[in-house]
Amino acid sequence: MSALIIPCYIKTQWDIDCLNRLFDSVQAQTKQFDKVYLIDDASPLTYKLRHDFVEHIILKENGGPAKARNVGIDKALALNIQHLLFTDHDCILDKEWNEQMTSFLDRTEFAAVGGMTYSWGKTIYDYYHDINGTLAGKWLLPDRKELWYMPSLNFGMKAFAADEFPFDERFPTAAGEDVDLCLRLRSKYKIGFCPTAKLWHDYGYKNSFSGFSKFVRLFKKYKSSSATVYEGHTVLMWDSSESIYKGNMQ
Amino acid sequence: MSLIYRRKSNDPSFTHVIYDYIGEMKPFIKRVRKPHLLLPMVLFKSIEWGIYRWYKTPIRRFYGVKGNELIYMITNACNDRCPKCGIWERPEPRDQHLMIEHFINCLKRLHHNLYQVTLTGGEPLIFKKDVMLIAEEAKKLNVPMVTITNGRFLEEAFLTRYKELGHILVISVDSVEREKWNEFRGRKNFDIVMPKIMLAKEILGDQLRIQSVLSKESAEEIPKVRDWCKQHGIQFNIQYNQDFGGTWTNAISEEVNYDNDTPCAARKNICIYPNGDVVKCFDHRRIPLAKEPLGNIAKKDIIEILCTKRSTEVSKIMKTCNLPCKNMSCNKPQTLLFN
Repeated sequence: MSALIIPCYIKTQWDIDCLNRLFDSVQAQTKQFDKVYLIDDASPLTYKLRHDFVEHIILKENGGPAKARNVGIDKALALNIQHLLFTDHDCILDKEWNEQMTSFLDRTEFAAVGGMTYSWGKTIYDYYHDINGTLAGKWLLPDRKELWYMPSLNFGMKAFAADEFPFDERFPTAAGEDVDLCLRLRSKYKIGFCPTAKLWHDYGYKNSFSGFSKFVRLFKKYKSSSATVYEGHTVLMWDSSESIYKGNMQ
Repeated sequence: MSLIYRRKSNDPSFTHVIYDYIGEMKPFIKRVRKPHLLLPMVLFKSIEWGIYRWYKTPIRRFYGVKGNELIYMITNACNDRCPKCGIWERPEPRDQHLMIEHFINCLKRLHHNLYQVTLTGGEPLIFKKDVMLIAEEAKKLNVPMVTITNGRFLEEAFLTRYKELGHILVISVDSVEREKWNEFRGRKNFDIVMPKIMLAKEILGDQLRIQSVLSKESAEEIPKVRDWCKQHGIQFNIQYNQDFGGTWTNAISEEVNYDNDTPCAARKNICIYPNGDVVKCFDHRRIPLAKEPLGNIAKKDIIEILCTKRSTEVSKIMKTCNLPCKNMSCNKPQTLLFN
């Protein structure tokens, strides 16, 4: 059994379009999810979903994506679901994503898994993120046999790991909470990489000219989580690592 | 996220910035398969690198700063009977004493992040062989070590090897006058220990420090100790009296201010009791959530212990607990301690 958990904070029509696009790709899966949870983190915009297989949970107060994901984790664990998979509303799943992620977790000893993430757009910034591996996770060096970190947009955990290592709700935004989780998780378990579990992430760049400020804001946002990550961990396991891209996927 | 993290630590400096930039760019450039995009890609990577560099990421090791101090209370047992301290009254049973291999493993596991390993007690030199084993291992791992002792068991062979290893020795001295010394130590050993301090000075040179505990009882003696240290060219530090079960009064230390800005052990300290129990601070029991140790290094991996939810919660509480122990030297970087 597998559940898909998606936190969201809907501010614009673009976000709604993203959601519909994501659920179209969810619907097209070769192996269907047993549950799909969309946890709305008190969005300012009201909207209706056109996909009836989604359990839509609306939180009363905004608490950040970590809290929203934990709500989904609790629901899935209550149903004894074995594999908990995570993505974001601005992603598009390959039709075999669920099949690949769950079969990887079934056949390996890894407690968690990350898939391969590509940029959806075609701007120069999207190209940059693809070769930089901005959201593609990191190999643990030197062996490249397990992951140092995988962003929560293309991530899955076995139930026991999710039960033991929920997201830290002190992270207010979608930045750093996945790094924190991977650091804690890796103190006990290993995270595997499944290159055949593909998804595309839409960074939202309209074109190569107007996207620059968005590009800078993105990295500033990721940086904003640093203090929380730093304070939360006595020992930061900054083992040698390398970001994943097509050229070192294996 | 930075492209590649390196284990090698470097001192932050101008040359390190260049090294860091080049180290980031070289592997990135190899990834650019479209030659006409090379320039904008390098520009974007420089911007990303600049943002992380400007904000000084928490990736301390990446920028060469090691963040943790490992403090091992190797034993509660002591050959002195100082009234300031009650630790010696409860020596651990022999069968509960941690096997040295467990601590060495812990040191190996943490050494990339350690700026210092500190041995304290009780009297650590009761386990002189273990102290030397740790000192040798710390040297191999390039971790500076500090041992805090009463000086009673110092001898030439130990000091000579300790000097070669480059570690720091701190001797606890609260008076330099025989009568007061004997009263403060609860043992008449002034004439035994003083020559050993002089021997330590001769062998260790500037690797020797002296530390005094300031309380009502010792207040008159401390300036004399300071002067004596100055006269002999030994670095000196004052530690405020804390409640470790002794009878000395810490009225003086209560006048000292501490607040949330005081550098705190919460983030940096990893403390090990004689039986292997792990705490973030030896005064940790005062915090309700932290009455029980976080784990035991004989039973569980140290990093696993430090990554538990309770461990991070305890850190959070300690940050603002503002207990008097915030004035202790373990709450401050070693470089700020001695003058």
